[in-house]
Amino acid sequence: MSDHWTIDRGLVERIAKVARLELTEDEIEKFTKQLKVILEAFRELDDVDTEGVEPSFHPQELSNVLREDEATPWSWDPLENTEHREGRYFKGPRIQ
Amino acid sequence: MKAVIGLEVHVQLETESKLFCGCSTDSEGAEPNGNTCPICLGFPGAKPKVNRRAVEHAVKIARALDCEVQPRFYFSRKSYFYPDMPKNFQITQYEMPLALGGHLLLDDRRIGITRVHMEEDPARLVHVGGSISSSLYTLIDHNRSGVPLVEIVTEPDLTSSREARLFLRKLSLILEHLGAYDPGREGGLRVDANVSLEGGQRVEVKNITGFRAVEDALNYEIIRQESMADMGISVMRETRHYDAESNTTSTLRLKEQEEDYGYITEPDLVRIDVDEAWIARLESEMPELPDARIQRYVEESGVPRFQAGIMVNTGLDLSRFFEESIRLFPRPGVVANWIVTFLLKSLNYEGLSLRESKVNPETFVELLALIEEGTITERLARELIKEYVGTGESPRALVERRGLASAGRDELGEAIGEVLSDNRKAVADYRAGQTRALDYLLGQVLRRIRARGDPVEVKRLIREALDSE
Amino acid sequence: MTGVIDRARELDEEYGIFNALAESDDSMGGGRLEGVAVSVKDNVCVMGMETRAGSRVLEGYRPPFDATVVKKCRGEGALILGKTTQDEFGFGTFNVNTPFKVPVNPHDRERSAGGSSGGAACLTSVADFPHLALAESTGGSISCPASFCGVVGLTPTYGRTSRWGLVDYANSLDKIGVMGKTVADAALLLSVISGPDEYDSTVSQAPPEDFTGYLGNGVEGLRVGVPREYFGEGVDPGVSEAVWGAVKGLEALGATVKELSLPHTGVSLASYYIIAMAEASTNLAKFSGLRYGLHLPLEGAFDEYFSRVRARGFSEEAKRRIILGTFTRMAGYRDAYYMKALRVRTRVIEDFKRAFAEVDILAAPTMPVVAPRFDEISAMEPIQHYMMDVLTVAPNLAGIPMISTPCGRVDGMPVGLHLMADHMEEGKLIRATHALEVSA
Repeated sequence: MSDHWTIDRGLVERIAKVARLELTEDEIEKFTKQLKVILEAFRELDDVDTEGVEPSFHPQELSNVLREDEATPWSWDPLENTEHREGRYFKGPRIQ
Repeated sequence: MKAVIGLEVHVQLETESKLFCGCSTDSEGAEPNGNTCPICLGFPGAKPKVNRRAVEHAVKIARALDCEVQPRFYFSRKSYFYPDMPKNFQITQYEMPLALGGHLLLDDRRIGITRVHMEEDPARLVHVGGSISSSLYTLIDHNRSGVPLVEIVTEPDLTSSREARLFLRKLSLILEHLGAYDPGREGGLRVDANVSLEGGQRVEVKNITGFRAVEDALNYEIIRQESMADMGISVMRETRHYDAESNTTSTLRLKEQEEDYGYITEPDLVRIDVDEAWIARLESEMPELPDARIQRYVEESGVPRFQAGIMVNTGLDLSRFFEESIRLFPRPGVVANWIVTFLLKSLNYEGLSLRESKVNPETFVELLALIEEGTITERLARELIKEYVGTGESPRALVERRGLASAGRDELGEAIGEVLSDNRKAVADYRAGQTRALDYLLGQVLRRIRARGDPVEVKRLIREALDSE
Repeated sequence: MTGVIDRARELDEEYGIFNALAESDDSMGGGRLEGVAVSVKDNVCVMGMETRAGSRVLEGYRPPFDATVVKKCRGEGALILGKTTQDEFGFGTFNVNTPFKVPVNPHDRERSAGGSSGGAACLTSVADFPHLALAESTGGSISCPASFCGVVGLTPTYGRTSRWGLVDYANSLDKIGVMGKTVADAALLLSVISGPDEYDSTVSQAPPEDFTGYLGNGVEGLRVGVPREYFGEGVDPGVSEAVWGAVKGLEALGATVKELSLPHTGVSLASYYIIAMAEASTNLAKFSGLRYGLHLPLEGAFDEYFSRVRARGFSEEAKRRIILGTFTRMAGYRDAYYMKALRVRTRVIEDFKRAFAEVDILAAPTMPVVAPRFDEISAMEPIQHYMMDVLTVAPNLAGIPMISTPCGRVDGMPVGLHLMADHMEEGKLIRATHALEVSA
């Protein structure tokens, strides 16, 4: 793994923004410290030679599990679990 | 400065059910969120399952664009947060897409196709109390969520807005031929365009629906970039939003604000292997594509290439109209000429597409038959076709109802006899060598038969009567 | 099953077992599970019963459908008893990472029941009525609590059971499995819940098996491998001794034993955590306070609203894993973490395939220690929590079946023997553990 990055507050804040997670000052500080330790430990992967090794997306590779193109309506009320609704719409926050 | 344009075209695939669940894709008249289930709404514990027909449509599209279908491909999760995304990630394809490296021929220009992949459509948002930038809240209708899309990405090979429009028209025609796409579906074709001027930064213009809008948006964007260059301002790498109403583009986000999509392979779906037998079967199901169809019209039916091109490029429904017409009236040259020269012009005049009009091959060829059998003149037919396109009334019935059939031999003979005996002076003038007297007599006869006759033929008959007098 | 719910409520008060309990003790009856109460880990959907997967972000969520495994249990006449406590989304080894109840160890209330399926293991141990538990493992969440609580925990091959209706932690690792007081119990419940399912693309197409058929088949000729790496540094000597005792027991019953090596055992931990967190961080994106679960007043733009809901709804470990998981798949880091971890996973799988060419099953300690005390746990750093999983993550990464069964005690606390077999070879695990159980 390259050394072009450093794990600091800025990085944690950036990740939190990407992940839409509001963090407190304490959390940012704590996570920054812990991330350094954890990601440093994960670097032991560098020791494994994976040249020419295929990634395993699943433990056993299955393929071509497909469904036929048939419309099979689901009978339910999609709005049953939400408070944020207006008529038959879900109601969401504004964009900007 | 030359424009450099690459397109990302999103096309809704024609399927009964969504890409990963059994919900119907036909939401016309459905209530909001009426075509949803826990899968397309991303409820906890629900899992996707791939629609075979969507894959097969996409493979056919890839082959029609001469792309290499990958022997194995995967789906991926593209993560970004937005209220129209039930899972806050979109299932799409990333590093191992369905197909790579093809092209589409635009006359002699070869437009490179980078890749073809499948993905799911997000929901439809209604911005309440304003626009996307000023609304109070949004309403979300997930009927569109999970509808199958194919994304076709071109190389930056297009050089003008016009060329981009022609490319899209041809692409749409190919997809229509494949039965993978319905051009009549609203919003069925959406485009993001990457535009730059040679040597300049690239700008992505998002959210363009329809061919015409692509040309407009690109024109606007090219002129904007040119005037910036003229003023010595450098264009920034950014994503812009196209607003069709004002026909302008505006900044959506700068390069630095781009989302980090954090792609991972979709772990709820398995790999898809496309072996040669499968491809061969799909290829055998593929219909004739537009270029081949034009060639066939030229070679088998003797239609001039430019007319064949116009018919095929106008749309699959016109090609079908032509083919049915020549089956009923097997004179392809005449049919093609009447379609291209008169039918299309009249449709255009009425502002109708073939699909919207009441025109059909059965009644259309009546018009040609009426000319051929001499019931009406070609000139009259040119008048009648306008009325026919407007009302759809059978031309034969129309001619009958209005008594428009050409005068018969007896009626004509009688009229000529009367005119010759009523206009002795003109007859004498004719005999004295004044040819203009014949035109006068012709005018008199045509008036008497209310113009229901071919002037050339009538003139011949008058001359015959004079000679035998 | 009159009185079962009342009794369950009493046990809940004593041990912290349920996040939700059934309101009625009616069941259909008339199947292989007639008269049996089946408890369901909170992250498995039960139609109409609050399903929070141990998280506040799913507060109030009532699934509109049953998980396939739940449906199958109902079809065999079981009473669906309630939702058992767990670490939030399965993020933990001691079942302390949850804003809800923390189950205690039935053998010592000062100690952890293990995680993340802690409530399931605790209930399996203390239930004094016919009971079987549906649990779930991503990296050891069945084996660990089974080991700590002294019950049988069977994690099947990845894809042996349908994940339809499982609130995802890491989809390429998650497996719904079972717990019971005996091997026969576990075999019965697995027989009911396994098999193909049109709603899960990753489930095996192998036809359902009757695993109870393996009971009593003995271990004559069974080849047992003992991987050296599983008895290394950090493994309590008392635990090693108890496990070796069980291995000798298998030998005495007719099995052959040989030592071997699984060289990628150590690095499997990093590979596991990176893959699990990368997948988890995408799975958790959907929890944004709009369509189900925790709702807040719709204020601010969507970025602000989502960030606020998620800050409120997730507790610390979930936030940590979202941060870590998002990092491992970000542009610039993705190849070095996410993709690299997937390639190392291939190496881990190859280790096992090589081993299973020589032996039928592998034997190891389930956990390196017996259940720790809560005060010890609260003194641990996150990385130390993660390292406790060092013996269970490799088989979970490889998706091979594993079973934890009690094999003695250290300091009065149960020790778990962990047996692992090749894909789809649950039968061998059942043969071996059952043989030990009846010989004890």
